This record gives sequence, structure tokens and C-alpha cells, in this order.
Amino acid sequence: MRPLTEEETQTVFAKLASICGNSLKNLIAPIDNSPTADRYVFRVQKDRKTPYFPNWLPVDTPGARTLSRGVYYVLLSMANLATTVSRDNLLSLGTCLGKMTKTGKFKLHITALPILAEHSRYKIWIKPSGEMPFLYGGNIVKAHVGRWTEDTPEHTGIVVFSMDDRPLGFGVTARSTAEARRLAPTGMVVFRQADAGEYLRDEDSLFSSG
Amino acid sequence: MPPSRTKTIKNKHAANGSGISGSKATRAGPMDGIVKNKRAIAAILKKRRKKTYSEKELDIPKLNMITPVGVEKPKGKKKGKVFVDDRESMNTILAMVQADKEGEIESKMIKARQMEEIREARRVEAEKKEGERKAALDETKESLRKKRKRGGKPTADEDLDVKDTLLTGSNAVKAKKKRVSFA
Repeated sequence: MRPLTEEETQTVFAKLASICGNSLKNLIAPIDNSPTADRYVFRVQKDRKTPYFPNWLPVDTPGARTLSRGVYYVLLSMANLATTVSRDNLLSLGTCLGKMTKTGKFKLHITALPILAEHSRYKIWIKPSGEMPFLYGGNIVKAHVGRWTEDTPEHTGIVVFSMDDRPLGFGVTARSTAEARRLAPTGMVVFRQADAGEYLRDEDSLFSSG
Repeated sequence: MPPSRTKTIKNKHAANGSGISGSKATRAGPMDGIVKNKRAIAAILKKRRKKTYSEKELDIPKLNMITPVGVEKPKGKKKGKVFVDDRESMNTILAMVQADKEGEIESKMIKARQMEEIREARRVEAEKKEGERKAALDETKESLRKKRKRGGKPTADEDLDVKDTLLTGSNAVKAKKKRVSFA
């Protein structure tokens, strides 16, 4: 486990900023005003395959632990305590935000949803009839939209809520609000990126691949 | 290894000093008849030694090797990663990234607004054209109706003709029915 490098920090923040608004700076602010206040930091933990896992099998086989680098959002005090655990024995700590790919990109995971929902810039609320299709991995069609933030541009990150304000997942807008008004009821408005259904669907790989 | 071999060959003269009979330094001495002191010889040797470079110093690209772009480390840079863990530098990076994103979203919004304006203008123009076309059609219809009314009551013969036209659907004279007879 190690802190992020400069480039990594930049990519992680860029991804978070595509969904979150100005309140993103509160993410790394100290939790109180005292001089020795604790604060949240980012940590990278490289996952490795299980020892008995043969090399010739693809790494996305269920049960395999990949070599991806998970990015965790964790309290500094806890991160310091975690140094007592050896790398091989440490599976996870804090909140997993996503993972860094081998090409240096950052992918957000569904586990980052509580943080994203709190700081999101654009939001969409879907009707009860649209919850199931979304939670099964579908995109959001116009007919299922209850309401959404005015003036949302297209191709920007958005957090999906149910009508009773429960975060369900996040995605990217397919149309701007103005364009979506003219759209047919079956037209797509949001492309899904992650949904809470993944906790069940990808139960095997979600936490093991970090 | 090629570098070490090159090094040995290049340094052969230097290592042996004046041991090679064919070298210029040994031949030149007696022919000129000038007795050179050790200092001069040492100076020449030093000069020669300066010319030898190891392969690393020459910075020649290695052959028959593929070096991926990301793997090649820039020269003279310190090894290892530079971590960012203090609040100030993290805040700086965050501010930079957010300013970038803000600008991006702003430009997207402006673009969307402009596109919306263009679309609206086009819609208004299309509506106007449609209206004009409809007006022209109505006008023609009206003029045709008026013309008919001005013509007065049609005579009995004309009336029959009209009835006939309505029945057959055309003004053409009814053709005689074709008959086929056997024997």
C-alpha cells in the first residue's frame, strides 16, 4: 500500500470531478479544526493472484485476484495503522473508489457510490418502474425519468437516484436536458456505468479484484 | 558482450603504450630524429585516451530491440515514484483539475445553447415556409371555387355529362365493350 503519485492523483481527481461538483475539495479537507486533525487520503493497494491460481487462466476468471491496483479512500490514521499488516495479507481498507488500469486510466467502482452521491453535481431521479431495468444493468430511457437536474450537458457524469432519494448508481448522460425533451419515450438519456445490482451480479469479483 | 569488446580494442594502444611497432607514435620518433621526452609521449597518449568512449556514453540506440514508450526512462531523472500525500499539493492538483473540468463543462453548455438557438431558428423558418405554402394552396382552392360559382347553373346536358364523369371517374368517351363470339 502506498500513496498516489502525482499523475495518479491527477487522473483520480479528474474522474471524480467529472461527476462531483465544487464540494469535491471537502473530500480531502480535515475532519475538524484542531491542528492535529485527521483527514482522508488516497492509497493504492496492488492486488495479486491467489497463490494456487494458475498463470495460464485469464485473470478475470471468478475467484482470481487480479494484478490491478485498487484505489482506496481512507482515514490517514487508519492508513498508518494498516502499515502493520503485510501487503500480502491486506485485502482492503477504507472505501474502495475504483482501480487504476495498466494503461494508467482510472475506473470508478460501484463501491464509490456513497461518496459520489454526496458530492454529485448532476442528478437524475428515476421512477419505480425504471428501477429494476436499471439495477439489472440497463441504460435509462426517457420514459423512466422522474426528474433531473436542469441544464445538464450531454456526455457528463450523473448520479442516479430512486424517487425516494436513494442512490442506485451512476452513469453518463446521452443527451442534454434540452435535447431530451424532444426525445421519444424509448430514447436513452443516461448510459449506465455502475449500478447497485453489481453487488449481487459481481459478488465474486467485486471485492477480490479491488 | 559488444561494449566490453569495443572497449578492449580501443584501449589496446593506450594500455600497451608504445608497444605497437606500427603505431604512429613509435614510427615518428626515430624518423624525425627528434628525441621526444616522456612528457610529450604521455601527452599524445592522453590525447588518444580522450577519444575513447564507452558505448553508453555515445548514446547510440540499441539495435534489434523494441522499447515501449512508457518503459524508457528519461536520462538523468531520479529513479522511483514521487508521492503526493500532503494536503497542500493535493489541493493544488485538485484546484487545477477542477478548473479544467469547469471550463470543459462551461464550453459544453455554451455549445449546447448555441446549437439550441440554431435549431430554434431553423424550426421557426420551417414553420414560416409551411405557413406560406398552406396559404398559397388555400388561395388556389378559393379561386377555383369562385370560378365555378361565377360560371352559373349548368344546363341539363352539362349536368348529365358531369354525372357521367363522376361515375366513370374520367372525361374520356366510354369505349365500346369488346365482344367475343364463338362461331
